[in-house]
Amino acid sequence: MHRRHFLLILLSFFAHKYALSQDEGGEASLKAAFIYNFTKYIEWEGADNSGDFIIGIVGSSSISGPLEKIAQTNNVKGRRILIRYYNSADAIGFSHILFIPRNQSSSLPVILEKTAKGTLTVSEEPGYAKMGSAFNFIIKNDKLKFEANLNAIYAANVKVSSQLLKLAILID
Amino acid sequence: MINLRNISIQNKLVLIQVLTSVFVLAIFFTGFIMIDIKDYKERKVKSIQSIAKVLAANNVSTIQFQDNEAAKDILSELQNVAPDIVRAVITDTDGNTFAQFSKTKADSSWFDLGNKTFAFEGRHLYVTNPIVNAENELAGHVYIDCELSELEDMKSKKFGIAGISLVVALGCGFLIAFIIQTYVSKRLLFLVEKMKEASETNNYRLVIKDDGKDEIGILIKVYNDLMYQVNESQQRKDEFIGIASHELKTPLTSIKGYIELLNEMETRQPQQIFIQKTKESTAKLEHLIADLLDVSRINSGQLQLNIEEFKMDELIDESIDSISAGIRTDHTIIRNGTFNDLTVKGDRQRIEQVLINLLSNAVKYSPPRSDIFVNSTIKDEQLIVEIKDFGNGIPEEDKEKIFERFYRARNTSVHISGFGLGLYICSDIIKRHNGKIWVESGAKGSSFFFSLPTIKKSIPI
Repeated sequence: MHRRHFLLILLSFFAHKYALSQDEGGEASLKAAFIYNFTKYIEWEGADNSGDFIIGIVGSSSISGPLEKIAQTNNVKGRRILIRYYNSADAIGFSHILFIPRNQSSSLPVILEKTAKGTLTVSEEPGYAKMGSAFNFIIKNDKLKFEANLNAIYAANVKVSSQLLKLAILID
Repeated sequence: MINLRNISIQNKLVLIQVLTSVFVLAIFFTGFIMIDIKDYKERKVKSIQSIAKVLAANNVSTIQFQDNEAAKDILSELQNVAPDIVRAVITDTDGNTFAQFSKTKADSSWFDLGNKTFAFEGRHLYVTNPIVNAENELAGHVYIDCELSELEDMKSKKFGIAGISLVVALGCGFLIAFIIQTYVSKRLLFLVEKMKEASETNNYRLVIKDDGKDEIGILIKVYNDLMYQVNESQQRKDEFIGIASHELKTPLTSIKGYIELLNEMETRQPQQIFIQKTKESTAKLEHLIADLLDVSRINSGQLQLNIEEFKMDELIDESIDSISAGIRTDHTIIRNGTFNDLTVKGDRQRIEQVLINLLSNAVKYSPPRSDIFVNSTIKDEQLIVEIKDFGNGIPEEDKEKIFERFYRARNTSVHISGFGLGLYICSDIIKRHNGKIWVESGAKGSSFFFSLPTIKKSIPI
């Protein structure tokens, strides 16, 4: 008789495992991981691809800690990851990804105006995608999801893989 | 266990044909079905593996962004792509289920593939493929459980066709074997029939016609040659008997004449005794030569019957008298019943020859002081004469043969002289009279019977 092993997989387990943990730290690190994962599916065609890969954060955000940690141990296609902080809309310089935390003193249009071409904007305020942010995190059914504004992506002159877009909630 | 030797050639041929076709076809079909199944399995593994690869590539992002709903949507589309996939699961690196699609919810167990990328278990094919991201890091696994429903369909269909073909082949085998066997066993049986006929009728001149050039043809040809030789030697023997008996008869006649003269001339003793002894021996010799002559006449068809009407009772009495006169032992011949002076038509001398022959045989084979009975009865318009002795009897296997030429009973304690021609001649004479001759024998002696048709029934010869 052959030895037969049957692995029992508990189906009910994953339902909780992949639900978003309620604490602030969990959400922040998940967002940081998502931002890093975005880089794997996006090509910056109109930007300088030789130097460091710059992720900018407008103001302060709880994701900065987890993001710094990622930057220390990872890279984007062999390029070092640099995190830059801009205190105000006027201070915004070139970055490949610009994260716009919620509760900003400056409004989104002001920030977008200061954003250079070739910068992919990522926000976390409901409705921001519609207002012109390329990617916008939302919580849906207790899970972290993201909206994508195709016009904003096109305007940023970046190429987003369909593998990423199929997971996004598309906003006109 | 069936002894193959005892099966007729006809059945052997059929058996060979049928067994061969069944055997060959069974091997043929099994081989083809095995190859088909193997091909099908290989194709299935390849196609399911490529589906697993596509699933793995498409689920790198779903795992990275922890979107198990999207993953589930992708898995659900399998239903359109490969309907025989009953279950597909994506696990993360820890082996926890990330997303799954299942047609049968009840079954939550999974076949352990170990280190293999695929495995067949029962009616299922299990395939796994790692999910690797752009950095070549393991992100999880895809597992697919595919039901091989087509395989079962294919198997039953192919085995069905194979079964039908086997039955058809069996039928054809039977038919072909039946046709072929007529060229073999029929001819053999025909040969056997002809051989029996030759043996029963002693007619060795029968030539069997057969155009075949195979082994049976050779057998028949050899048989014909052999029969030709037998016939030749038979004819030579008959010729020899004819010539010998004639050549012996002439000097014997002159010996007889001179002894008669001597008998008349010589009155002294003991010369007279010697003459009497010589006369007796000459008579015996004459009798033997007469038998040989009769056989020769029978063989050449020259035995002529002198048909006349005579009374059977008279003939029987005469025969008994003449035998009794010659017997120097103490046997008594007793007559039972009469034919009431019935007249028969036939050769009186030849019938007497038969009676004398049978009576002298009875005397020869009887133990001392025993009686010999001669019974006469009429039954179904046949005169039946029985000559009964109390000798040792005749063994069962000899009963038919004693009426053959030169046949002499074996295992007899009594030494009997003669050629063994007497009964053969009797049998021939009785047959020529449209009668029958037979023997009944037991431990207490033998009864020789012969029957002759009454005058009403007898055919003028």
